[in-house]
Amino acid sequence: MDISSRAERMNLSCLCNLLFRALANIFASSTCSLMKTLLQLDEFLHPSPVVAPTAGSELPWLPQDILMDIFALLETPGLVRAGSVCASWRAAYTSLCATEHCKLQRTPCLLYTSESMGERAMGLYSLAEKKAYTLTLPDPPIRTREVIGSSYGWIITADERSELQLVNPITGDQIALPSVTTIEQVEPIFDDAGTLCNYEYLWYTGEEWLYDKPSILDLSELRDMLFDKAFLSSDPSTGDYFVVLIHDPECQLSFARAGDNEWTWLPPHTCYEDCQFQGGLLYATTALGEIHAFDLCAPAVTMKIVLERVKWSASDRVYIVQAPSGELLQITRSNGKDYDSILELSTPPPNKTNRIKVHKVDLTSEKLVVEVGTLGENVLFIGRNQSLCLCAKEYPQLKPNHAYFTDDYFLDVTNKEIVSPQLWSNSPTPVWLVPNLRRMSLASHN
Amino acid sequence: MAAADSCDGISTSGGGWEKTVTLVSSDDARFEVREAAASLSQTVRRMIRAGGDGGIPLPKVDARTLSTVLEYCNKHAAVPAPAPESSSAEAAAVDLEWFDKELMHVDLATLCSLIRAADYLEVAGLLDLTCKTVADMIKSKTAEEIRQMFGIQNDFTPEEEEQLSRENAGVFE
Repeated sequence: MDISSRAERMNLSCLCNLLFRALANIFASSTCSLMKTLLQLDEFLHPSPVVAPTAGSELPWLPQDILMDIFALLETPGLVRAGSVCASWRAAYTSLCATEHCKLQRTPCLLYTSESMGERAMGLYSLAEKKAYTLTLPDPPIRTREVIGSSYGWIITADERSELQLVNPITGDQIALPSVTTIEQVEPIFDDAGTLCNYEYLWYTGEEWLYDKPSILDLSELRDMLFDKAFLSSDPSTGDYFVVLIHDPECQLSFARAGDNEWTWLPPHTCYEDCQFQGGLLYATTALGEIHAFDLCAPAVTMKIVLERVKWSASDRVYIVQAPSGELLQITRSNGKDYDSILELSTPPPNKTNRIKVHKVDLTSEKLVVEVGTLGENVLFIGRNQSLCLCAKEYPQLKPNHAYFTDDYFLDVTNKEIVSPQLWSNSPTPVWLVPNLRRMSLASHN
Repeated sequence: MAAADSCDGISTSGGGWEKTVTLVSSDDARFEVREAAASLSQTVRRMIRAGGDGGIPLPKVDARTLSTVLEYCNKHAAVPAPAPESSSAEAAAVDLEWFDKELMHVDLATLCSLIRAADYLEVAGLLDLTCKTVADMIKSKTAEEIRQMFGIQNDFTPEEEEQLSRENAGVFE
């Protein structure tokens, strides 16, 4: 826009303003008595009109419900700061955070550890603010755990005894998940004194024994052998949720519902890579692009193959994600080399990412997968987190048609512009986290 | 009484006749406004339907604030709905965006009055705009800086302060 047209518009705007103020003055001097009657009537109908607590003064003030509307527009760090201003702002903050399913502006952050922060702290890098914060997490020390998932603002961790926990790094809430010894392929081994000393790891899937002989593993060794990725169906602070595990041997599925004492195995399929909950169903994609839909709520879990095998390159990492439009997308990430044979499955997944492809999945009729050349306005977040697809229009700090990702094995947070390299540690794995300030209610805690 | 009682009319530049309504602020200032513009306020729209004599009383909005609200309504109601994707639609959107930005160049007390008025009058677009403006003003500020902006006292009890520090609140300062 050129300067002259700006100036013209400004003059117009000023003129409008003047006209209104002039009109207001003219009418103010000719108020009729009928008007006053109407005003009194209105006062009668509304005996306690909203009166500014500082009536007469020029101090800015806002009622509680509007404060909540404004707070909902803030990113997590700004929201927490606003909630620490005074008691009434705190009350607005608390009500907002307690609201279920409330829509908050929450741009994903990168959650990571580093030696310099100590054993119990994690760094939270806000993409929205381009700023890093340090969070202190509850025991056991986060640096002694592995992070195997991130969903709804919670991370899923495996401690040195290979037991799993859900942790909200922002609120510090923590939930112990069912014991690892209740997973189908794991048995505890106790010493003479009755103390747990090792795990027996059984090499079978629903279809075959990979080795007849079980492995005897140290307590911390098991987590590296067993866990691939973990997912949540919903925010655990609501009290009802499913946790789904992709675990070895052969990337099988097990799940637990809130309050369960043990893991439920979902045989016989294997080679799962990623999961997504949509419309009450669990969609799990295999390394070869098959998509299975599970109804975990059914009395006996049912499974339907919604997409047959697609001939992905066997070395690709496969993700499944729901686009903002509701469509299911299948994403493949690879190092750009093509491996077409299934035999190549034993090839380690790519440790450098050179290519990301997006495929639209049509679940309705033809079970078609169509490659789409662009994400359009959308943004992807992939890695150990529950895969996310957001619309950049709603998150102005994110770049449309970009994928933000962390690599899974030889870790390398590739978007180097984010944090200068190696400020973080590769173990536990850095993950994307959508901050969640909602605290667990006491009821759900039990 | 018929709704028309609070409606007058003015002739437009095109020679047509446009319906107007009279709005009355808390301090008895009267504003004659095109009905199309005034109807951006759901509160006013309901009162027009209900009818009445001698103008529509808005006892929770003073003249100064109401004039700004009406400035917003006039501008936004004036925009015709051209075919999307057309260049004129794009130009109109840019113009509106610029207008909104200019309108928000006010002090914080005025901005808060505008928010309360937009909330009471139910002018959704103005409420969104003003809330977004305040959110942008406070988003990078510390709690202390926000207190100074709004003239708010830190009224937490020592117990509440302790609770805040337990809840990691200081982490984001």
